[in-house]
Amino acid sequence: MTFDWWTLGLQTINVIVLIWLLQRFFWHPIAGIITARRALADKTLVDAKASSLKAAAALAEIASTRAGFAAERAAIQSAAHADAAKIRSSQLAEAAKQVTALEAAAKARIAAESEADAKAWGQRSGVLAVEIARRLASRLDGPQVKRVFLDWLVAAIAALPEETRQTARAKTTPFDAVSATPLDATEQAHASQTIGAAFGGPVSVTYSTDPNLIAGLELRGDHLTVGNSWQADLIKIQAELQHERHA
Amino acid sequence: MISPLASTPLFHLGPVPITQGVVTTWGIMLVLIAGSAFVTRHLTLAPSKLQSVFELLVETVDNQVRETMAVPPAPYRAFNGTLFVFIFVANWSSLIPGVEPPTAHLETDAALALLVFLAVIWFGVRAGGVGGYLKTFATPSPIMIPLNILESITRTFSLFIRLFGNVMSGVFMIAIVLSLAGLFVPVPLMALDMLIGAIQAYIFAVLAMVFISGAVGTRLAPAPPTPVTGKGTP
Repeated sequence: MTFDWWTLGLQTINVIVLIWLLQRFFWHPIAGIITARRALADKTLVDAKASSLKAAAALAEIASTRAGFAAERAAIQSAAHADAAKIRSSQLAEAAKQVTALEAAAKARIAAESEADAKAWGQRSGVLAVEIARRLASRLDGPQVKRVFLDWLVAAIAALPEETRQTARAKTTPFDAVSATPLDATEQAHASQTIGAAFGGPVSVTYSTDPNLIAGLELRGDHLTVGNSWQADLIKIQAELQHERHA
Repeated sequence: MISPLASTPLFHLGPVPITQGVVTTWGIMLVLIAGSAFVTRHLTLAPSKLQSVFELLVETVDNQVRETMAVPPAPYRAFNGTLFVFIFVANWSSLIPGVEPPTAHLETDAALALLVFLAVIWFGVRAGGVGGYLKTFATPSPIMIPLNILESITRTFSLFIRLFGNVMSGVFMIAIVLSLAGLFVPVPLMALDMLIGAIQAYIFAVLAMVFISGAVGTRLAPAPPTPVTGKGTP
């Protein structure tokens, strides 16, 4: 067995050099990158922690804001309810007022319409009654009726003032004796004689017909007219009815 | 057959004989340094697979220093890590045909043990001063000073003899079996030799940490692992 001291020295130097070079090219760079990564990881963790704290604070703020939202919503709802109640009561009062006014107007309109209807129906019923009477009376135009109307005419002339009758006697223009149906010659002669007697002296009389009279005998002159017919009576009755309704 | 105990010079640089072990050491140094420079040329915070492997190696060395010496690993990382890497690569260099591991020669192992001896003194003085380092010889009692001095020398011898015996015996046995049995028979023995080489690298580095830890004055180091050998003497 031999031991070479030169080799011992060379190997010692070799290993020292190797330790130095590996420290420079391997151990130090690798450890440095590990340290840098750990520092980065620590920084990331610190940042994450800070972010977490910030997020927690933001969350708390959001929760606080949400709580504020709830209170604000309740206040808004309460105010809205109050406003709605106020508006509702106001609108109800306004509606009640309008209803009252509409009701009064409707009642007035209904009353007016009822009154107008009553008047119209009264008028129509009067017309209807006159028409009914006219149709009924038209069936009574016989000789007896003619004599009765002649008597009523004589009575009406007799009831005239004397001055009126004298004026009529002095009148040269003939009176027109109007009947609903034509009078024959006998009836005309009898009528002329009776009318003259009623005036107290002879008067000139012509005869004509007017179906509108229904029945009767009227005497029409320039300044004197003696109405004596169903038509005149019905007109008079209708005028009295209207006067009564108006009264 | 050349004795494995002999160191035959390949050539001379003046009066200095250059043995195969020295040349192999230079080759290993070249590979390690070039590889390191290549790997660390583009280090990134998002590591590649290759970078991750080497970071794992550095982390493993650091953790071993922390567990063994209970000190921050940075001052001791390069020394102990390089011892482990060099011995490991040197032991496994026997896989290359025609290459004899430098650790199979006494001078290389003695050089490594000498460096551990000097490192113990260096780190001890740096940690507690000369007085503090010398006081470590008086623990647990001043009467132990002669024994502690003797121990510091004998453990150094033990360190390199253990490494030399294990590696040399492996190379020797493989050479014998290869000369007797042919091509494939020594393969199991070579696998066993690789295992022993890795274990011896680990033991050498850990024992260096233990010795330095004793000089630095940190906590009592755990008992050094029992060397596992299938042949030779621990």
